[in-house]
Amino acid sequence: MCGIAGIVSPRLDTSVREAAIARMVQRQQHRGPDDRGLYSQGPATLGMCRLAIIDPANGHQPMLSPDGRFSLIFNGAIYNYRELQAGLAARGWIFKTNSDTEVLLATFVLEGAAGLRQLRGMFAFAVWDAQEQKLFAARDPLGIKPLYYARLPGTGVLFASELNALLASGQVPREIDPVSVSEYLAWFSVPAPRTIYRGIANLPPGHCLSVEADGRLKTEPWWHMPAPTRPRQIVTNYHDFVHGLRHQLEDSIRAHRVADVPVGAFLSGGMDSTAIVGLMTKSGASRLKTFSLIFGEAGFSEQASARLAAQAFGTEHHEELITGARVAADLPRILGSFDQPTGDGINTYYASQTARAGGVTVALSGLGGDELFGGYPSFRDLPRLNRFLPLWRQLPGALRTVIIDRLRSRSGARARKLADFLAHARDLHELASLQRRVLPETARLALLAPDARAQAQRLGPNHPMLDDFTSELLGADAFQVISAWELRTYMADVLLRDSDVFSMTHSLELRVPFVDRVLLEWLWPQPEYFKYDPRFPKKALADATADLVPTAIRQRRKQGFTLPFSRWMLAELRPFLEETFAPASLAACPWLEPVATAQVWADYTTQNDTRAWSRVWTLAVLIAFANRPPQP
Amino acid sequence: MRALMLAPELFHAEGGIARIMRLYLKALCEIAGPAGRVDAIVLNDQPGREPRLAHYADIRLGEYVGCARRKTKLITEAIRLGRHADTLVCGHLHHLAIARLAQVFNPRLKYYLVAHGIEVWRPYTWLERRALRGAQRILCVSEYTRRQLLRFHPALSPARVLVVPNTLDPYFSNGLDQAPRPVPFAGPRILTVARLLATDAYKGVDTMIEAMPLVRREYPLARFRIVGSGDDQPRLQALTVRLGIAGAVDFLGSLDDAALRDEYAACDLFALPSRKEGFGLVFLEAMTYGKACLGARAGGVPEVINDTVGQLVEYGNIPDLAAAVTDLMRHPRDSEVVRHHADSFAFPVFSRRLAATLT
Repeated sequence: MCGIAGIVSPRLDTSVREAAIARMVQRQQHRGPDDRGLYSQGPATLGMCRLAIIDPANGHQPMLSPDGRFSLIFNGAIYNYRELQAGLAARGWIFKTNSDTEVLLATFVLEGAAGLRQLRGMFAFAVWDAQEQKLFAARDPLGIKPLYYARLPGTGVLFASELNALLASGQVPREIDPVSVSEYLAWFSVPAPRTIYRGIANLPPGHCLSVEADGRLKTEPWWHMPAPTRPRQIVTNYHDFVHGLRHQLEDSIRAHRVADVPVGAFLSGGMDSTAIVGLMTKSGASRLKTFSLIFGEAGFSEQASARLAAQAFGTEHHEELITGARVAADLPRILGSFDQPTGDGINTYYASQTARAGGVTVALSGLGGDELFGGYPSFRDLPRLNRFLPLWRQLPGALRTVIIDRLRSRSGARARKLADFLAHARDLHELASLQRRVLPETARLALLAPDARAQAQRLGPNHPMLDDFTSELLGADAFQVISAWELRTYMADVLLRDSDVFSMTHSLELRVPFVDRVLLEWLWPQPEYFKYDPRFPKKALADATADLVPTAIRQRRKQGFTLPFSRWMLAELRPFLEETFAPASLAACPWLEPVATAQVWADYTTQNDTRAWSRVWTLAVLIAFANRPPQP
Repeated sequence: MRALMLAPELFHAEGGIARIMRLYLKALCEIAGPAGRVDAIVLNDQPGREPRLAHYADIRLGEYVGCARRKTKLITEAIRLGRHADTLVCGHLHHLAIARLAQVFNPRLKYYLVAHGIEVWRPYTWLERRALRGAQRILCVSEYTRRQLLRFHPALSPARVLVVPNTLDPYFSNGLDQAPRPVPFAGPRILTVARLLATDAYKGVDTMIEAMPLVRREYPLARFRIVGSGDDQPRLQALTVRLGIAGAVDFLGSLDDAALRDEYAACDLFALPSRKEGFGLVFLEAMTYGKACLGARAGGVPEVINDTVGQLVEYGNIPDLAAAVTDLMRHPRDSEVVRHHADSFAFPVFSRRLAATLT
């Protein structure tokens, strides 16, 4: 795990480029405190900082091919590097290290971009080809590791693992994009390929970027969700399916445990993390270290479940008490650690801090289980709503308008969300797109200043990647559609992004065995009725790990890994929020309508609607972000 | 081949569908062969001989029936002429049920649908689904439209949904040989051609107007010339006044072909940053004049515009739009490359592709 940075620009002198890269690497040094490297050739300069996990003594980057033509910087981990190493050695590559970095370099040199399909892991990397004067960069299929880039005047390009690093280069202006603000208010985060800053793009998951010698830049997908296979019944009975799934899960855990440093796990006490820890124990991890967060507030802590699981697996379990007062005290550091606003992720900040303090450098997380095995209510609700849509369209237009207006006039967010569904959704894709919205459309538009509102109205309420995702999912069944939307939107843009930022803040490598290409490609074509049972969410995962996960945990209702924000916001975090929603703070947000924005907080303090906390918090983080002083 | 064509209009109005359906008529006449015959039934056209037909049909044109907007006539004529036809090309999804009805009276009849753009990017009624399932082939103007069809009607066999990109009107292109009349103006000139209807606000003419103040920071003499008319024009004119650029935006109204050719010839850049363009025939027309094109990264437009002939921007992103305009002014595209790209959509290519699809 590392931080990478690079510039390709014929207009900038080598000394200017190297100084910029040095600042960029310095800005993201928490991503890799163990080593640093810098390399220039022609118009290109590459830099990186390394968190040494595999072959710590070697694997220095930028790594050059033996003939010096290719230079590589790489952030992430290739879990199947040992398997690939054997094949590459047979083809004549003489390995000088035992690092996954050299395996990646050899794969690219020998097979080019086509070699990406062989990689199992999480990665964002860039290769400079000194002979052709071309840059190639790519990101893993599901977006675990980030890569941001910006065009420079003329034909140049600049890229890094964090937005803050791009800003530190001095080559990119720090200008918040009002369109991104409106997207953020809709989705909890800014969906790729946008970022919160104008002129800086987020390379979408599964995409690669190439810059030709004449400066032409092209991005394109190199990986897609698997195409529907007919007949889909790859496994013909449920017993074989569960058996096959168990084999795939064990295989994924085995791959994700590869490291030359201590590996631990997050253990919330929920189904996903318990299954991960169970599988790790089963695969031979002895005296595994597990970590969980606990809260004083009743109804939030999963302490009992986590302890039960830890006891069952005999782990060395660490608990960390998180209080509102502690969050309030840490808030400046937390807000300073992310590079674009997010309405989520503080749980990962503390869990990562706890794990790092507990002596591990790598931790496994159950992230992705809900998306892959149907843990969200959307898997149950959206197909039902989709069946209703044709009937809804048969109603007279005037009647539909009256119903939608009635729903919008109600104060509850659920009613207004339903109004959004009925007003804007035409099929399951659009339902899946709209269901992850934080603010209903009318509420979002009311918060935006006139210019930003006009832009938002033009773009409409649906997800900006709607066309891309629907194209990718042609012929997919209902479960696949919802799963893909969850994987491609909320998981990629919120969960994985936050996990990367907040784990790297503490120099912890977070690995996510459920977010695994090999597992997904096996699971994807299996029959929908094996994967999902609306009466028992995540039944397939529960059945595949039935001998590991204690019955009490398997039969628990889903709780989610959330913090008691609804209470803290009215107590310990209240001073922060009062200050954030004050006119002086709102003055730094010209894209927001100040009166309507302040009213959101005023309503929260008076209306006792605790479910509204995430909308208020999302807005507060945005305002605080805009008020953040420029960082060095 | 004995073919029948159903179209919403050919000459009644100058929309993109009318223009491309004229070329379908021309191609069908060529494909029909020496002993073939092509009949055309057009909902909105007036009855009687249309002089412009001579450009698009030859002796193989049998009956040309203008229905003067009477749908009952469209239906009865489709049944009457459909009894003798073996191939029916339907130019609009709204009329596909009529094609299916004609097939009931003539089971030998194979019918095809031309799917243009937004009219098929939506859920279908029961009747439309049945009619779509019965179609021999569905000819989509772009891969984007094809994907939308399969999205909203997953039961369709993908093998029967094909892409036949739109083409250039050879009659319109003939004008290239005539020297364009000089249009007196000496500044960067951005041209758009679009209907200015409130229902077509997605065309993005307003976004281009909003980008003009930013463009004029770099190019103070830049002008935006708009060809087209409609009920949205007062709103757009009010927008130019509000932005203080009324003097830099010319509303030219609807133009005849000769005047339109002059505008294409005289412009520096063609821009139509539309959100829902099925194909964007006007881009091809501009490209025949070697003009760089600016479109939105939406619908079928990315299949027409690439980096060598212009630029794509995100729909509705005003700063990006202005930046793309100034970038294309500073770095003009090679007009020969642009013309060459347009040639790949030439009528003979289209005609061959259509023949291969229908036979």
